[in-house]
Amino acid sequence: MTTVVAFNVAREPAAARILADGSVIWPTRKLPPAEDDHAALSAAVVLADGGELVGVTLGQGDPVWAAARGTTRVLRISDVVVGDDDSATAAALAAAVAEVDGADLVVLGDSEHHPGLAPALAGHLGWPCVLAAAAAARVGEGVEVTRRIGGVEETISARLPVVIAIVAEGEETSPPGMKTMLTARRLPVHDLVATDLALEPVPPLEPVQTRPPSSAAARLFDGDPQQAVGELIKALRSEGVL
Amino acid sequence: MGEDWLVVTDSQDVGALSRLLPDAPVTAMVIGDRALAESAAVAGVAVVHWIEPDEGVPAEAYAGAAAASILASSPRLVAATALGPASRAVLGALAAGCGATLLSGVTAVRDAGDRVEVTGGAAGGDVVATYAVPWPLCALVVPSDDVPAPDPSVLVAPLAATDSPVRVTARRVSQPSGLADAARVVGVGRGLRSKADLDLVRGLADRLGAELACSMPLADDLGWLPRDRFLGRSGQQISPRLYLAVGLSGAPQHLQGVRGAKVIVGINSDPGAGIFRASDYGIVGDLYEIVPALTEALARG
Repeated sequence: MTTVVAFNVAREPAAARILADGSVIWPTRKLPPAEDDHAALSAAVVLADGGELVGVTLGQGDPVWAAARGTTRVLRISDVVVGDDDSATAAALAAAVAEVDGADLVVLGDSEHHPGLAPALAGHLGWPCVLAAAAAARVGEGVEVTRRIGGVEETISARLPVVIAIVAEGEETSPPGMKTMLTARRLPVHDLVATDLALEPVPPLEPVQTRPPSSAAARLFDGDPQQAVGELIKALRSEGVL
Repeated sequence: MGEDWLVVTDSQDVGALSRLLPDAPVTAMVIGDRALAESAAVAGVAVVHWIEPDEGVPAEAYAGAAAASILASSPRLVAATALGPASRAVLGALAAGCGATLLSGVTAVRDAGDRVEVTGGAAGGDVVATYAVPWPLCALVVPSDDVPAPDPSVLVAPLAATDSPVRVTARRVSQPSGLADAARVVGVGRGLRSKADLDLVRGLADRLGAELACSMPLADDLGWLPRDRFLGRSGQQISPRLYLAVGLSGAPQHLQGVRGAKVIVGINSDPGAGIFRASDYGIVGDLYEIVPALTEALARG
């Protein structure tokens, strides 16, 4: 019974540099943590319940970031990076999970920008999944998951094995300090390459063409506040929403 | 060449149909109650396959069964929205099962012979990207309001539900906050300096006849408003005629909760704030000047 947490496996738009012609340049060396990663790590620590917590990541993942938050070791596929095909990313992660003896529970962030990643990981593993989770705990031989969608809160029980995708409900409140980060550097990292896992070493899917969106920018009013609000009210009346 | 499929687990999922290839007959896979299955019987759908979940079993628990049924037809294209967890679970199982590319934010697909051209938003919607990938394709599409007319002649065929390792053991519905049905909503973010200043924004909301809402940090981290007042991916998702965003940066998490608004107005002192990219109108200025001015101007009529 081993808990696995996947981290640094989703790209956040804030990390992208977008050029005037619509070209997108992503970080090539290290990805910043995704919006939900810290919440997934916190949930995974709870689920590991003092037992082993194995981190899995891809080539742009930062093992120190995860080790400082509770992973006991990290397995990284160093020559695979995140692309836009969530199933391809998930296939690599599933191969990494298969390397972890006794893995029966995988936790990861439920990325808004890669909504197919967690379910595709479940698909590649052949496990069920619980998505959009807020919190999870081990109960007996299974897990109990809480999730809130709109105005409905559900408690879901699931037998193992299962993939749980966590949505962060806030920012990280107490990130690890410098001492913890330094200690985390000493925790073991097992680097593999795709061929070690019988994965076909294919480049990540990227678009053949990009362009800026054609939608018109907002009509902005600035300058004197009285004048600006007057123009806004006039515009909203013409829209029929006042 | 295999079939084209639409996965429906949410009432808005049928709006994905117009994103698919025109003139190609589509088979629908519905996981939900009878009303949802019947809502998928629309023009353009050849047949509806329907799994009705057992009591206490979440729809996503049937992802494997739905995927297996679709895989048996050697699918060419399977589409769903990313609105509900169950649709995503089905597409994840399918993509893994047939080696399909799985893309999200899709707005259009085009048959290009042995490949499919896929267009959609990338980098959080800041660019429009086109991909050329081999069939089959699993596409998480952006829902459209363009829903085809009902077609009572479409066959709705039930499928047997299977045992599930996942169960809902408790379900609690929050008291309605009034946000869901509000015609106008004023949302406030961290541009507000103190809890006491909420009265300023509340005054504007009252003058507009609007409900007051907020970003996640104001409810979760600061506790200035109840949790049922925060808008966003993990909060309330609304569709008012007017959404006025005051002192909000326009974080993607928040914007996902207000995408259904007819008209969005941003008020922010930073002309480069992300909220203006999602807005129809905006005022660049200090909310502490703009909000009182707007309230007074509305009071004058």
